[in-house]
Amino acid sequence: MSVDRRAFLLRSAATLGAGGLAGATAQQALAGSSPTTAPASSGATAALTARVPFDGAHQAGVASPPQDQMTLVALDAIAGDRSNLVQGLQALSSRARQLAQGTTMPEQEVDEPPADSGTLGTTIAPDGLTVTIAFGASLFDDRYGLARRQPARLTTMPAFPNDDLDPARSHGDLLLQIAAQRRDTVIHTLRELMRPVRDQFALRWTLDGFQSADRGPTPHSSRRNLFGFRDGTANPDVSDAALLDQLVWVQPGAEEPGWTAGGTYQVVRAIRMHVEFWDRVGLREQESMIGRSRDAGAPLGGSDELQAPDYEADPKGARIPLDAHIRLARPRSASTESQRILRRGWNYHRGFDAAGQLDQGLAFVAFNQDPRRQFATVQERLADEPMADYVTPVGGGYFFVPRGSRGAADWVGSGLFAA
Amino acid sequence: MTTVAGSASSPQAVADAAAMRPTAAGLRTEISPLSPRAFRAPVARYRAYAAREADAMQAPVGQLATALRRGDRGAAQAAWGRACDRYLLLGAAYRALGPLDRAIDGMPGGLRRGVADRRFAGLHRLEHGLWTGAPLASLVPWAVKLARDVHTLRRVVRTIPITPLDYATRAHEILEDAQRDLVSGRAAPWSGAGVRATADASAATAAVVGTLVPLLQGRGDALPPVQYGLRRLDAELASVRRDHGGRWPATGALTRAQHERVDGRLGAVLESLAAVPGALETQLPRAIPALPALAAPKRAATR
Repeated sequence: MSVDRRAFLLRSAATLGAGGLAGATAQQALAGSSPTTAPASSGATAALTARVPFDGAHQAGVASPPQDQMTLVALDAIAGDRSNLVQGLQALSSRARQLAQGTTMPEQEVDEPPADSGTLGTTIAPDGLTVTIAFGASLFDDRYGLARRQPARLTTMPAFPNDDLDPARSHGDLLLQIAAQRRDTVIHTLRELMRPVRDQFALRWTLDGFQSADRGPTPHSSRRNLFGFRDGTANPDVSDAALLDQLVWVQPGAEEPGWTAGGTYQVVRAIRMHVEFWDRVGLREQESMIGRSRDAGAPLGGSDELQAPDYEADPKGARIPLDAHIRLARPRSASTESQRILRRGWNYHRGFDAAGQLDQGLAFVAFNQDPRRQFATVQERLADEPMADYVTPVGGGYFFVPRGSRGAADWVGSGLFAA
Repeated sequence: MTTVAGSASSPQAVADAAAMRPTAAGLRTEISPLSPRAFRAPVARYRAYAAREADAMQAPVGQLATALRRGDRGAAQAAWGRACDRYLLLGAAYRALGPLDRAIDGMPGGLRRGVADRRFAGLHRLEHGLWTGAPLASLVPWAVKLARDVHTLRRVVRTIPITPLDYATRAHEILEDAQRDLVSGRAAPWSGAGVRATADASAATAAVVGTLVPLLQGRGDALPPVQYGLRRLDAELASVRRDHGGRWPATGALTRAQHERVDGRLGAVLESLAAVPGALETQLPRAIPALPALAAPKRAATR
């Protein structure tokens, strides 16, 4: 677990007490902060009481550290009209805020179905829960009169070369990214969020993801993906607000509708990884495809994961091949740095295919200010990378994440419907 | 320099390799590299084989066009199957064919408008039409285009450059593609020809491995498990065909037990085939120049 994530959880735990859980629980969280701060490699787990505020200038779940468990839920809007759609969105925000805050089971009438499924017991701890709500391009068709307010850069995700997109696992009017430290929290949240919106939203597809554990060797070491390589080493620094304003958050003005400021574009790709095939490839070939050593995660020729690959000193690819993934994805030239994206990837495993091969891969999630300038440009550069033989993008979509809600009276997406 | 027969290495280098003595670069493969010259005869034999298969593809493609014009869907589907067989039997060449492979064997997945995209052409464009009830006359232009592309193919396979690394890798990867695309039903989804196509891919692998037997013999122990695995896979496929009255069943018509056994035999031979490229290296792994250790930058507050 990175130092920053630990600090983040600790901060969250320390802000408890203003509401929500009983003080005793907060005390336990603080008293129990030593296991939380120990390196995760020693087996410590994050406090159930860790809390990420639902409201804020930006939605949670974008720049906050990725939790261990995540489910993406694409929904189709079936609301009869615009005001019914608004009711559904208000209900989603309201319930998500309550669960992210932590709550206790309401009083129950024995002759009525319980107000909560009870799968988390009577004390519903926040567990670092974030619910990030986003809109797909199809929401802006003629059903709800939203066409003229569509975010300028929101399109239906195109098929890229080598994609094999399954329409049943792609796109959607709405996307929920539900993430928490524990799987039961995520599943409880999904189940509860659907209860008040059955008349407004229908499930289109879901994808469950998990993070690999922090296994060191240092507290700074990035986690591994299902190819065995460390992933996310070169991500932009989320503590650098100016950088995020350049790369992630939509800025006021330009050709974007006013309500989109403070939001961001979310790219989701369900990328099947052909792991059996990958496991039959020589180590050197694997490393040449990625551009990093597998074990340390260092750029080839280096020894430290965080070392810069120094492509200027390697113009012909003697050290890192010119078509290596890290080199194509981020050439580190002055003209390509504005194309960087903020990645938030989770591994997925969902059984096996008709040929008896494990259906595993990457629930790729990325946030960027302009998918054309950033994600799509990078993706086109990666079109014929050698690694393409070992992966097949099978689903996903482009979505727009509105700014955060302003408090309990507000809801995510309200700006879209404001007069 | 005196070299050890069948290799480009000196007796000292071979002895060093056998003793696993580290090289200057700290890398050591288990056996010394082969001379690239050793691949000339196998690749020439393969090239002659591939030319025969490409030539043999022309007739069924012509029969396909004729059946389409005649309005005989059954005959057109049968001719399509025979054309597809020939292309799969080519095996080791298609990755090197680039746009021509896309024209003959491309799938609609990466195309903007999917099956309705004008760039969706070739065998699978015809397969889609033949098995989804498209008017046969509408498919004639696609068969004519395919015939033209096969004509080009016949010329290209005779001259296409094939490096030793390409060739050794293809011995392994023809069946990797079969596992990823054919047995899963991902390729040929409309005709369900995945089982028959897997048998073709197995035959293509056997043809490539057959040309490499003289090189593989005496280079580690890669060959016997490959030969054993290919026999097991072929026997399983033959048994499946017998169980279906002597016809290749559609992928979806396999029983669970049949599917599991075919998948398992295929997976097992792939584990053995994965050793072939390493056994046929023509050079030691290149040494990676060192990246000077700099003071590591401050860890970004993210992952």
